[in-house]
Amino acid sequence: MKVLLVEDNERVTQFVVKGLQEAGHTADHAPNGRDGMFLAASEPYDVIIMDRMLPGEIDGLAIIEALRKSGKRTPILILSALSEVDDRIRGLRAGGDDYLTKPFAFGELLARIDALTRRAQGEGAQTRLEVADLRVDLLTRKVTRGNRSVTLQPREFKLLEYLMRHADQVVTRTMLLENVWDYHFDPQTNVVDVHISKLRQKIDAAFERPLLRTVRNAGYTLTSHD
Amino acid sequence: MKFARPSALTLAVAYISLGLAALALFAAPLWYAWRVTIQDGRSEVLQSDAQRLTEVFRRDGPSGLVSYINARVGLQIAGERLLLLADQSLKPLAGNLADWPTNVPPNPGVYNVKLELGAHPTDVALVHTILPDGYHLLVGRDTARFQPLEQRFWYALAGAVAILSVLGTFGGILVRRALLARIDGIRRTVSAIIQGELSHRLPTHEGSDELNTLSRTINGMLDQIELLIDGVRNVSNSIAHDLRTPLAELRSRLEELALTKPPTEQTFAEIDAAVADVDGVIRIFNALLRLAEIDSGMRRSGFVAVDVSVVAAEAVEFYLPAAELRGSSLSFEATGPAPVRGDPVLLAQALGNLIDNALKYTPVDGEIVVEVRAGADDGRVEIIVADSGPGIPAEERPKAVERFYRGDASRCTPGVGLGLSLVDAVARLHGSELRLEDNHPGLRARIVLTQDRPQVARTARIVGESGSFQHEPVYP
Repeated sequence: MKVLLVEDNERVTQFVVKGLQEAGHTADHAPNGRDGMFLAASEPYDVIIMDRMLPGEIDGLAIIEALRKSGKRTPILILSALSEVDDRIRGLRAGGDDYLTKPFAFGELLARIDALTRRAQGEGAQTRLEVADLRVDLLTRKVTRGNRSVTLQPREFKLLEYLMRHADQVVTRTMLLENVWDYHFDPQTNVVDVHISKLRQKIDAAFERPLLRTVRNAGYTLTSHD
Repeated sequence: MKFARPSALTLAVAYISLGLAALALFAAPLWYAWRVTIQDGRSEVLQSDAQRLTEVFRRDGPSGLVSYINARVGLQIAGERLLLLADQSLKPLAGNLADWPTNVPPNPGVYNVKLELGAHPTDVALVHTILPDGYHLLVGRDTARFQPLEQRFWYALAGAVAILSVLGTFGGILVRRALLARIDGIRRTVSAIIQGELSHRLPTHEGSDELNTLSRTINGMLDQIELLIDGVRNVSNSIAHDLRTPLAELRSRLEELALTKPPTEQTFAEIDAAVADVDGVIRIFNALLRLAEIDSGMRRSGFVAVDVSVVAAEAVEFYLPAAELRGSSLSFEATGPAPVRGDPVLLAQALGNLIDNALKYTPVDGEIVVEVRAGADDGRVEIIVADSGPGIPAEERPKAVERFYRGDASRCTPGVGLGLSLVDAVARLHGSELRLEDNHPGLRARIVLTQDRPQVARTARIVGESGSFQHEPVYP
């Protein structure tokens, strides 16, 4: 995956670029708005990580707006120290696809750009999701594992659907909170973990091979690979 | 176009001028009415006199009228009356005027002229009638006797003007002084406040005049400013206290690591612990920023129609597995839709914090009840989160919503002590407050919101860009 990072802080740049390379991605870097604009417009990237406040006359939101106006649909993750709800809304309105506040954990960033590129490939009008022998029918809302039917509460279904759509990727607790519950705040206790373990009880407990796995220091992943 | 701002003095002058103008406007018609009445009355009397003399002339002829006039003049009953009968060539035949007055034309009519009576020119009113055969008759009267009356009128008017001017000037000066004194008081207090003495307040009294109202408003503003400044001071104290502790831990952890250089395994474990420490600090930081964001009141612009019962049902549903895990019961009761205008994200967070708090402090087998009551008649929406935990002693309750406050009971549970203050801040943003009551046993947290009148929308979410979906309210 080819990633463009537009970020002026050297420390953060080094940290992110190194992390991306270790995860098997190639990363280009632009230290200011002008270079960022040039690279984003001329090179094909799978995802762009954009700092909001940049030196020089062009800031992150201006670049995003310009890119969107010129028809570029590359997924963009906004990285910003501005954490207020309004800032977030402004960033998404400008054309960003996701918003991550600094300081951040690298695992969170990686999980989010993975999710973004997956979304860009298109969820399409899928009606069935499958991971190994776990099947979800989105129309009838029936869930089966092997040949056993699994009964889920509406919210559990939503949680499983999100995990299935992001199968083989790491999803963080924050991503789950935002996308499954639409909660944009820190609920302090490990409530998400409890929901995951309940879901795990239903889909994994009776089977030899667990599909829903915990990724240390990052979150969860639903995968059939080992 | 710009006008110079009037000082109190120019205002007073303007008022006096206005008063004088009003007086003039009042006097002019009066004066006119008086003149007209008197003149009309006078010429009427003269004309009826002329009429009578004309009848004498018709009955007795010229000689008869001459003797009649001579008799009247001789008897002195003419009094102030002027009489003159003249022939066709204006030659006097009888009467108390020696000659035909040069300034009276030979046409009949009413004339106001000056005549030489004795030595002095006198104002007279004359009625000139032409009798049959071309004889001329003048009947007149001296009007000088009305002059003193007229004079008195003018004197009275001048007196009124003088009194008005003097009173106006002094009144203006007095008003100006009183006004300036009060404004100066306000100015001095405000200067003192600018100097940093925030405890000063403007003097107010019971009345409701403009300056008093202004003073009260300014005092209200000062109260609010003082509260905010106290808040800032409290927060910085709290930050100093509550961030310093984890930062100190983190620092010593890293320093120790650098000094002792433990084996790799242990180093990584220490680094993980350090990252966890930093996350803790960030968490406090985020909570504080969120509080500041709420306190600034800016979120109010994002208010939409929200059904609190749906928000609460979702929050309960969210925390239910955690409650089950702890062996506590968490139940939800709602009277039906509870529409309010508010921020759904913040309301959800406030409810989450209250439930989270209740979960933390309720012992195993505890009972937590979340209730949303929408009174159909009183227009209120009541949110109640009641637990069966140890509660908060009555005297500690006001302190419980303060930032970083942690009761004795909570010393050993995780949390940064911002949960309830956030709930209170959210409640305040929605024009309410967090009330903590005794649940016998346990704590009963209550927020009373105002019901949104038009019963719209089951629920509305504003920040759903990353994953919008239909809400199916679940009542466990």
